[in-house]
Amino acid sequence: MDTTQLLKGVLDLAVLAVLRDEDGYGYDILRRLRVAGLEEVGDASVYGTLRRLFGAGLLTTYVVPSESGPHRKYYSLNAAGRDQLTRSGKTWRSFATTMDRLLDDRGMAA
Amino acid sequence: MTVTGQEITDYVGRVRAALADLPPALRDELTEDLPEHLAEVAAEGDGSLVQRLGEPEVYAAELRAAAGAGERAAGSRSLESRIATVVGQARGRLARVDARLGPLLGYASAGEFLRLLRPAWWVLRGYLAALLLGVLSSNGHVSVLPRLGHSVVAGVVLLVASVLGSIWLGRNTGMLKRWSRLVMHAATGVLVVFGTVVLVQADERANWDSPYGYDTVSVGNPYEQVQDVYVYDSEGQLVENARLFDQNGTPIRLGWPACDDPALPEVNPVQRGYPYCPEQAPFRPRPPVAVPAVPGGAPTPGAPTHTATPTADPTTGAAPTTGAAPTEPATGATPTPGAPAAGDPAPTAPPRTR
Repeated sequence: MDTTQLLKGVLDLAVLAVLRDEDGYGYDILRRLRVAGLEEVGDASVYGTLRRLFGAGLLTTYVVPSESGPHRKYYSLNAAGRDQLTRSGKTWRSFATTMDRLLDDRGMAA
Repeated sequence: MTVTGQEITDYVGRVRAALADLPPALRDELTEDLPEHLAEVAAEGDGSLVQRLGEPEVYAAELRAAAGAGERAAGSRSLESRIATVVGQARGRLARVDARLGPLLGYASAGEFLRLLRPAWWVLRGYLAALLLGVLSSNGHVSVLPRLGHSVVAGVVLLVASVLGSIWLGRNTGMLKRWSRLVMHAATGVLVVFGTVVLVQADERANWDSPYGYDTVSVGNPYEQVQDVYVYDSEGQLVENARLFDQNGTPIRLGWPACDDPALPEVNPVQRGYPYCPEQAPFRPRPPVAVPAVPGGAPTPGAPTHTATPTADPTTGAAPTTGAAPTEPATGATPTPGAPAAGDPAPTAPPRTR
């Protein structure tokens, strides 16, 4: 099964999750996702997701000037974003549990 | 950092073009941060943006999907997006040519080589701009060193400022706003046309100035107007079928048989002797009047014709100069009739009737 298809559904949640403890800028968020194991995630997908979450009012941004490189736009979760993370997290857990059980019942190896 | 501001600008432009079918507000919302984001990406590693992120069109498709902007509707694609597709394909083809030409120049791609030449182009552009301003300020007079209102010093100052400005513009093109960049490109187009015109003009002038062009040989040739040649011997007699040669034995060809009857069979004029038209001889040893009429432009009248005019007009006799002009080229081949004939006060040759 193509992971990118799965990613589409959960990228929002993944992005919200990696921003839960620490604000980050675009490339930094991409790196965190890849370090966490989502290696196939594309830059455009992360950027697009950030734009959409920002547009939906779940994220706030601020710019940090840099001495050496370009200015960086940091994203951080606001209250709505944290709510969304909690709800989406629960949905995912329940969905994942359901899927796990479904596969377990039919003797599929993990 | 190997990625330039221009590259980011181009990349963003292509992404935006690929999203052209979206409502403008949504498209702006999606791409307003893209330059900053790509600058971050660029700062994180090596390689061009296309190498690291893929073609802008693919990036745009992924962005579109992730942002939930909806799939591109295949049937109802706007004209703008179709143009964007064509442009994208053309760019892809260009990139392949670019990569293939590179090794010929000793570089990875032709573009890499051309990018090295950019500063040289900036300098040239500055020079052309100064030249154009100079031409405008001096009523269209083009000079290699630009002059500002005929002042060389002001022209040099203008040149230096113009070149520095062009270099600055070249280095900071990425920072310009969209419309000012358009203005700059338009002005650059004008300069390219202007430069081409100046180059062509300079080339033409250089060709004119070359002193010994092929065509200049005939300029000032005193025999250009010669239509026929009449040779007179020392007795003032018209010599028929005379042939003229130069010191190398090369036949001297002057004039052409203008009086030939077209009904007669043609003879190669090269094989004929002078004169072609004896009937039109300027000087006739005939008795009737003192001085025969001389056609306009003919040399000094008189000398050879005195044969038949014993009445000896003192004025013509006193100025017997040459009368040899028509036969001048004949030196070496036929005797020059001028001097002796003129010096003879009483020529005795009988008139020839023709």
